[in-house]
Amino acid sequence: MNEPLLFDNSDDFLRALRQLKEEGKTWRELRLHMPFNVPEVEEILEVPAGGMRFFAVAGALAGFLGGFALTIYTVLDWPIIVGGKPIVSVPPFLLIAYILTILFGSLAVFGGFLLLARMPSVREIRECRDFGNHFAILPGEEEGPWKQ
Amino acid sequence: MNKTDPIEARERFESDVLSVMGRPGFRYFAALGFCAFLVTLGFGLWGWQIFRGVGVAGISHPVGWGVYITNFVFWVGIAHSGTLISAVLFLFRAKFRTSFNRAAEAMTVFALMVAGLFPLIHLGRVWIFYYLLPYPNQRLLWPNFRSPLIWDVFAVTTYMIVSLVFFYVGMIPDLAVARRRLKGFASRIFAILSLGWNGSLGQWRHYNKLYIFLAAFATPLVASVHSIVSWDFAVSIVPGWHTTIFAPYFVAGAILSGTAMVITLVWPMQRILKLENYITTDHFEAIAKILLLTSLIVSYSYIVETGFAFYGEHPFEAEQFRYRSFGDYAVLYWVMIFCNSLLPLTLFVRRLRRSLPYLFVLSLLVNVGMWIERFVIIVNSLARDYDPYAWGTYTPSPVEIGITLMSFGLFFLLYLIFLKVLPILSITELKEHHG
Repeated sequence: MNEPLLFDNSDDFLRALRQLKEEGKTWRELRLHMPFNVPEVEEILEVPAGGMRFFAVAGALAGFLGGFALTIYTVLDWPIIVGGKPIVSVPPFLLIAYILTILFGSLAVFGGFLLLARMPSVREIRECRDFGNHFAILPGEEEGPWKQ
Repeated sequence: MNKTDPIEARERFESDVLSVMGRPGFRYFAALGFCAFLVTLGFGLWGWQIFRGVGVAGISHPVGWGVYITNFVFWVGIAHSGTLISAVLFLFRAKFRTSFNRAAEAMTVFALMVAGLFPLIHLGRVWIFYYLLPYPNQRLLWPNFRSPLIWDVFAVTTYMIVSLVFFYVGMIPDLAVARRRLKGFASRIFAILSLGWNGSLGQWRHYNKLYIFLAAFATPLVASVHSIVSWDFAVSIVPGWHTTIFAPYFVAGAILSGTAMVITLVWPMQRILKLENYITTDHFEAIAKILLLTSLIVSYSYIVETGFAFYGEHPFEAEQFRYRSFGDYAVLYWVMIFCNSLLPLTLFVRRLRRSLPYLFVLSLLVNVGMWIERFVIIVNSLARDYDPYAWGTYTPSPVEIGITLMSFGLFFLLYLIFLKVLPILSITELKEHHG
């Protein structure tokens, strides 16, 4: 298979993928292009989950701990009792930690996506090989260097 | 739709959505010009307020929070249904969201941009806004993290950033389509904005996870941001504000007003841009059901908070609710009840729920009602709290009215620009649903 295989619809595309899988091809040995997401592709080719969840957990944890660290450090740095509240007031500080959990988690998954999907790609920005609205199967490594 | 020719169908989706980005006509420029006029007027008035001092606004003792804070709460509320439609309905796999999600996400971002101006306008001395940031002042004193106003800064800023990321991420595959379909300079701009998206499996597999994670992170924000805004009030001891129901009450109100704003924006868009094939009456009916549900929750909250006041044996609380209903601002209170509680009940009638002109008019009135609700909550409680010697009334000054008009002008200006520079429907999701 040296030429790209182009398909108009997802059913034919999935059929071809099943056949390639039966012939022993793995997802790493193929380059696939899709005009929209087809969830069955990952099931057929048994594509591993990837590392996005680690970015999500790491970002969320960093936000949660960072939120508490920021609030507790700053009140201990110059302790002033305001409104009769304890110096380290856990309930309001929990709000800051909660908000930063979401903020850091979201930014971490976005950063993780850019890293794992290798974006932005200057090469692709300058010259994108596009298969339009077709599904395409090409030989070559999925996430490897560009191969013509 | 013709199932037998998928390529043609996909190309039609692309050309239909991208054709909206074509050369605008006279009506578009007229609308843009009117909004730009309101924005110029409003910023001019803000400049005047900075030059003369915050005294040119009507806010004074005892009503220190007037229409500026009303506008802030209103616009943050408008933002909410964008996240509801884009994130929550995505997690529930509600397919009708495809017709609304891009418009709703844009609405969220623009509403938050407008909302973010009002604390700055309200500050008066806007050049020291950085006192709110987590940054020690010259005496190395940090902001007070026990203050709801600081929670607000964190909550609204986070909401803005997460909404912006979600809006942008959802658009990446469509930006690549725009890059392919458009020519010249526009194509180059979209090439950069799409970050080199080529639709490979390596991109899709991480993209899907990213979208799910972002939806999961954004979903709690729907509940938490307006809860935190409500605590600006509820954490105080002012009668009418100090109540535990405020957080869910504000969240339901936010979704009600945001849903109404989606209808206000999308119906003219559907008609003018000829998108009837993509945004159907069924879609509007689904949104109208959300509007009806949230209206019922808001009405229930009105009843419960009045019940609290009269069963609580707190004379000031009871007086506050009597004052709301029959005092200086009673007309506004009853307009609020009519617009937010009574009028949406008509949506139990299927024929009205499916009548788009009716829905449009209703959405405008609900937004009027929700703006008034915030005014009623804020101004009544400050005008009539514990000490009769501190009672007083408040009337917005022309400067405040002008700046309020500016906020609407700015919101619609940003939305009009969005219509012409970005794909207004999710092309990729349309293709996915068509198969």
